[in-house]
Amino acid sequence: MKLEGLDVSLVAAAQAGSTEAFSRLVERHQQAVRAFLRRACGDWALADDLAQETFLAAWPRIGRLKAGASVRAWLCGIAYRKHLTSRRSAARSRTRDAAYEAERTPPAAGALEDRLALEAAMAELPADQRACVALCLAADFSHAEAAEALDLPLGTVKSHVARGRARLLVALGVHDDPA
Amino acid sequence: MTPHDDRLKALFAHDEPPPRDPAFATAVTERLVRRRCLQELALLGGVSALGGLALWALWPVLQPAVTTVSGELAPAAWAVALAFSAVAILGGLGERALAWNHD
Repeated sequence: MKLEGLDVSLVAAAQAGSTEAFSRLVERHQQAVRAFLRRACGDWALADDLAQETFLAAWPRIGRLKAGASVRAWLCGIAYRKHLTSRRSAARSRTRDAAYEAERTPPAAGALEDRLALEAAMAELPADQRACVALCLAADFSHAEAAEALDLPLGTVKSHVARGRARLLVALGVHDDPA
Repeated sequence: MTPHDDRLKALFAHDEPPPRDPAFATAVTERLVRRRCLQELALLGGVSALGGLALWALWPVLQPAVTTVSGELAPAAWAVALAFSAVAILGGLGERALAWNHD
């Protein structure tokens, strides 16, 4: 069975009330959702918390998912809204920061500077631009898929990706004009 | 895709969680099941409370009828209880005997 076909059958089963099918969907899409959130918010522990919240919020709404729609884009859309909500609530536990630092594995020495520069540049991007970059440059989303997930116009996504990419490359010491 | 994009992608790959993470999936399922359980408990509690309230409100009306009916049904209730007990005991003995024969 093709992967998309598997998603379709799992969604159908989850819509019929199967928590087992939903768990399979969690297993299949946790990587994409967590990676997106890690890149969008920069805090791994918070990202994983938000990813859990995303799946918990997705379960009662799965009935609204249209047949044939991209599950990955739908989940990332929920994740993005969770991320925006969490950004608005200022109070964050300091222990979370400590756990985040403890969990992070140090990058290889050669890539350390680039990694830090990329993180710093990502942190400076506006939230929607950062989300577009995280989906299109890091996770191979098409512009259309990202537009659907983030509920943004296609043109906005394209310009966010182009501008974000340019800023990241500048931060890495590369200057080029996108083709 | 340009080499610059490849470089960006390689740097982003550092943030990638593992493709399979049973601990994460289990945590989500656990929270999901707990949430469902709490929702069912809340529903059950609500229905019970409503039933209790309805019974309390209707009791003055129901009480005479219940008293009359319970008096008339007492002998039948005894008979039904005896029949159930007999079936339960004899059924249990029968099953045990069958299991003993199979052994």
